[in-house]
Amino acid sequence: MSNLILKAENISKHYRLGVIGSGSFKEDLQNFWKNTFSAGGNKTTSSINTEPKANDLWALKDIDFEIMKGDVVGFVGKNGAGKSTLLKVLSRITLPTTGTIKGKGRIASLLEVGTGFHAELTGRENIFLNGQILGMQKKEIISKFDEIVAFSGIERFLDTPVKRYSSGMYVRLAFAIAAHLDPEILIVDEVLAVGDAEFQKKCLGKMKQVSAEEGKTVLFVSHNSQALKNLCTKAIYLEKGRLIDMGNTQDVITNYLKREQTLYLHRIYADPDTAPGNDSIRIKRVEMLPQYLSGSNIIDIRTPLVIDFEFWYLPKEEMDLGVSIALNTVMGECIFDVDSLARPYKKGLIKGQCTIPGDFLNNGSYSINLIFVKNTSSALFEFEDCLSFDVEDFRANTAWYGDWPGAVRPKFKVQLQQEEI
Amino acid sequence: MNLNEKEDITADWQWEINATQSWFKLGLRDLYSYRGLIMRFVRRDLIASYQQTIIGPVWMFLQPLLTTIIYLIVFGSFAKLSTDGVPKILFYLSGTIIWTFFFDNISGTMYTFITNAHIFNKVYFPRLIVPISNIITQSVRLSIQLMLFVVIFLFYHIVYDQFDLSYTLLLIPFLIILTAAFALGSGLLISVFTARYRDIDTFFQYILRLGMFVTPVVFPSSLVPEKYQFLFWLNPLTPIIETFRAVFFNQGAIQYNYLLLAVASTTILLMLGLVLFKRRETEVMDII
Repeated sequence: MSNLILKAENISKHYRLGVIGSGSFKEDLQNFWKNTFSAGGNKTTSSINTEPKANDLWALKDIDFEIMKGDVVGFVGKNGAGKSTLLKVLSRITLPTTGTIKGKGRIASLLEVGTGFHAELTGRENIFLNGQILGMQKKEIISKFDEIVAFSGIERFLDTPVKRYSSGMYVRLAFAIAAHLDPEILIVDEVLAVGDAEFQKKCLGKMKQVSAEEGKTVLFVSHNSQALKNLCTKAIYLEKGRLIDMGNTQDVITNYLKREQTLYLHRIYADPDTAPGNDSIRIKRVEMLPQYLSGSNIIDIRTPLVIDFEFWYLPKEEMDLGVSIALNTVMGECIFDVDSLARPYKKGLIKGQCTIPGDFLNNGSYSINLIFVKNTSSALFEFEDCLSFDVEDFRANTAWYGDWPGAVRPKFKVQLQQEEI
Repeated sequence: MNLNEKEDITADWQWEINATQSWFKLGLRDLYSYRGLIMRFVRRDLIASYQQTIIGPVWMFLQPLLTTIIYLIVFGSFAKLSTDGVPKILFYLSGTIIWTFFFDNISGTMYTFITNAHIFNKVYFPRLIVPISNIITQSVRLSIQLMLFVVIFLFYHIVYDQFDLSYTLLLIPFLIILTAAFALGSGLLISVFTARYRDIDTFFQYILRLGMFVTPVVFPSSLVPEKYQFLFWLNPLTPIIETFRAVFFNQGAIQYNYLLLAVASTTILLMLGLVLFKRRETEVMDII
């Protein structure tokens, strides 16, 4: 008997968009559509020719992989790359359009914590309900009951309906049940994004224990590349439904970050007539030049970032010109807005530069707006989202892998000193 | 999921997921291994429906009783519909208990995909578990309501010395199973289509509401004009309710020919429903 526990051959999943129906699934598809095909029209990464025909969409295309017993496999890829669809196919929630998956042993999927929780029922009842929905037997739950309750830390509220729980308690209970699942193959989707810091640590620890000590196979999707690096023995990188890379976690994640990052770092326009702008301003070039640390070729929180730009200035009247640079998160929150000195310039080409120091931004996705300001009061032209980039996490000397809080993450010194013994 | 024991050269796979689901595999063994979950759903539904109520499960008695009282007033006193000499309360109660059992079963089944989409989108288990657990839940309610019926019946039987019971009483469990099978079969068929086209759901809501008036719930079938009698008896619920009443109230002979017809049509409906449901249960999730 070989150690192969799961084998997927030639898996494809086809959706036809715009068919009758509604609900969460349709939203999923719409997100997929938006992320994959409309926002990134100028992508350079094109070894792929999945030009979509009107309403056809291949969420997965010709995926093959094998998974060994005891592997912890991380799935990486952008939103809409097909990760969740793949997990759904593996969990038997949706059927593949083509292909076969063969496996051994019981599969349990955790695509959400607390699936099937009933708000009116007590915590105790919900432990059984959720546990059985996830595939546990009643006997099994009874034998693990005390452990589950202890893990969740909600002993006092065991006989309270879960609708009275705080969202934190709810998640803790839900995860506690999930953590005590005992299948041969566990499928986990993004559940680490919930709960408070201490609890997240507990969950990651539990997952590590499950795979390392008990030899379980775990398939796991997360956007937390640190967690992936820490937990996974193997990674699979999907893009637009295709399997791009598979193998050693470190290599696959580096490859992924590199490919996904270089997309919007350069905007160069040769012809002033068609370049973005208006009668007064025409953009020639906007570029992000990351000052990679030696031995690294991805932008992480330590990397200083130079924003370098050139534009043609075609003023109709005498004025003071200033440029401001705004950095926004992907959610549209402004992290900072810095501006140049305003003064008169002559008609012609103008060059500008700004450096965001390393150890300043938190990890996340950002975009930059360039705003050209007339007489420090009105906007001449606003070049929105001209650059966008991801800042990856980097941590050394810490055992904490949850989200790092804060809009920025400067490295101010915090000093400690022993005063007394 | 097809739990095939497959022998392979490289490995002994225990299960396999394929692009299509087979037409004739009902996965009964799979279903049996999930019996714990079926009973858990029954428990959930029974507990949850009476949470935050003062009288709790007493509602199970009160619901048919209140309906019966309303029918007594509206159809019995105002409209003065005949009950073929059966005490009105027993007549309406018998009709309403069976009709409600049918109605709750079919409406629970036909919304299987819509009401459970959030669970079906996250976890796999044989989807048939949901309608089956619904039928068990409704059967629990039914048995409690039948106890109410029996109490009132015994009151008439003992105090007024009415009605004789015979071996035909053995037909009752069979009638209940037939009702459940009819509701399950048609509910499963409808569920597959309502998932795709919500119009069908609205359409069937009307059909169901109308259904009560082509079923002898508030009037005896003897009230139906002669030329419509055959059509009226084609409805499987007509022989079911009439047989139920014949057994308890000794009203005329049991129409075995129509009963057999109901068995035949229900069996066909149930088979169609099961096969189609099983075939489509996963594909439906892509369009819901």
